[in-house]
Amino acid sequence: MSERQARSESEAAETAALLDRIQRGDREAFMTIIRRYQQKVFVMAYSILRDREDALDAVQETFLRLYQKASLYRPGRPFQGWLLQIAKNVSIDSYRKRRRTKLGHETSRPIEEIPVAVEDRAGDSAASDLRSAFSRSVETLAERQRMVFVMRHYSELPFNEISETMRISIGTAKSLHFKAVQNLRKRLAPVLGMQP
Amino acid sequence: MKHDELDFFLRETEAVRAEIRAAVDSVDWEALPAKIAARAPAGSPETGRAPWTAKIRDGLAPLRMRPVLAGLLGGLVIGAAAASFVLRAPVRRPGAGGRYYASGEFLDRAELEMARRSAVDYLEKSQHMLLDVFESAGGDAGVPASLRVERARDLLQKKKYLNAQLERLQMAKAKALCDQIEALFLELSQLDDGLAADELGKIRGYAEERQLLLKINLVKKELQSGV
Repeated sequence: MSERQARSESEAAETAALLDRIQRGDREAFMTIIRRYQQKVFVMAYSILRDREDALDAVQETFLRLYQKASLYRPGRPFQGWLLQIAKNVSIDSYRKRRRTKLGHETSRPIEEIPVAVEDRAGDSAASDLRSAFSRSVETLAERQRMVFVMRHYSELPFNEISETMRISIGTAKSLHFKAVQNLRKRLAPVLGMQP
Repeated sequence: MKHDELDFFLRETEAVRAEIRAAVDSVDWEALPAKIAARAPAGSPETGRAPWTAKIRDGLAPLRMRPVLAGLLGGLVIGAAAASFVLRAPVRRPGAGGRYYASGEFLDRAELEMARRSAVDYLEKSQHMLLDVFESAGGDAGVPASLRVERARDLLQKKKYLNAQLERLQMAKAKALCDQIEALFLELSQLDDGLAADELGKIRGYAEERQLLLKINLVKKELQSGV
């Protein structure tokens, strides 16, 4: 048995023990799990939501769901994949709600008050337009393509962890990523064509 | 992917990653676990609302944890099913008042078989009676006359019960033969003890003329073979 595999099995056993304690209402075990995975969950949530406060809300909601559903975890399944799956679902729910609210809000505002670009922090209009176009193109991808693209490039997850989180095969994850990149190229072609 | 496109993609995705790193750095990770834990419901999470699959699993938990109880319960269910099957099966069984239930076809066959046996028995006894009459008519010492009369009356009585069976089951040949024999026994039953030899001779002549002994043998064989 390799050292890496032994370490992985030791971590899995430790996580299973922590989850067992959480089921008995042990707050300290719950906080240990949070400390161990909070940043990974935050990165996943922020990659999808692109908003700090929304991402923090999603982190809290993810761990509260974990606390309530700890008994549903099946030993042997990668815990991080299971937890990130919860985080992904919570973030997608939040993303959909925010999108509906945003659309409703913007349609009720005068057109001159709606910002042309989503982000405009650099002050450089050309770079800002490109960044805005890129963000909007990612947002308009089909949901599964968008999730794979975001996890791969923003959360920097390897394909095997993406497949665990989305409960799809690695081949399907790679195929969805390829389609996402192809669709982004098509959508951004007019913008890129204007580049000097 | 062209070089410009690749460069653009790398630049943009790196920009988002830098944005994420900045956001990560801005969070107080030391305080967050306590803040989340404080929001968790008090007590064991197992006491919270369980999903429907968990409820079913919990309901079956006693069976999973107690194989002996599960086996006993399974045995009771199988036993009840087997008892129900046996009691509901449409076979002959004692019913209310000790009566037996059977199919109509079975009853018809049983009645026919009983009629055949009764007819054969009657013909055998009649055969013996006629042989005795033949012997007595030939001068041999037969049974006493009084016993002969008594047997004749007994056979006449049996014939009354046999008539109904033979008619209902359409055993025409046996009935015709039994009717001819009945006429003889009627004569015999009315004779006195001091029966003259010539009167016995007349009865013997009547029987021989109609070949009653031969007919009795043939009909008996037919009935015994079930034709």
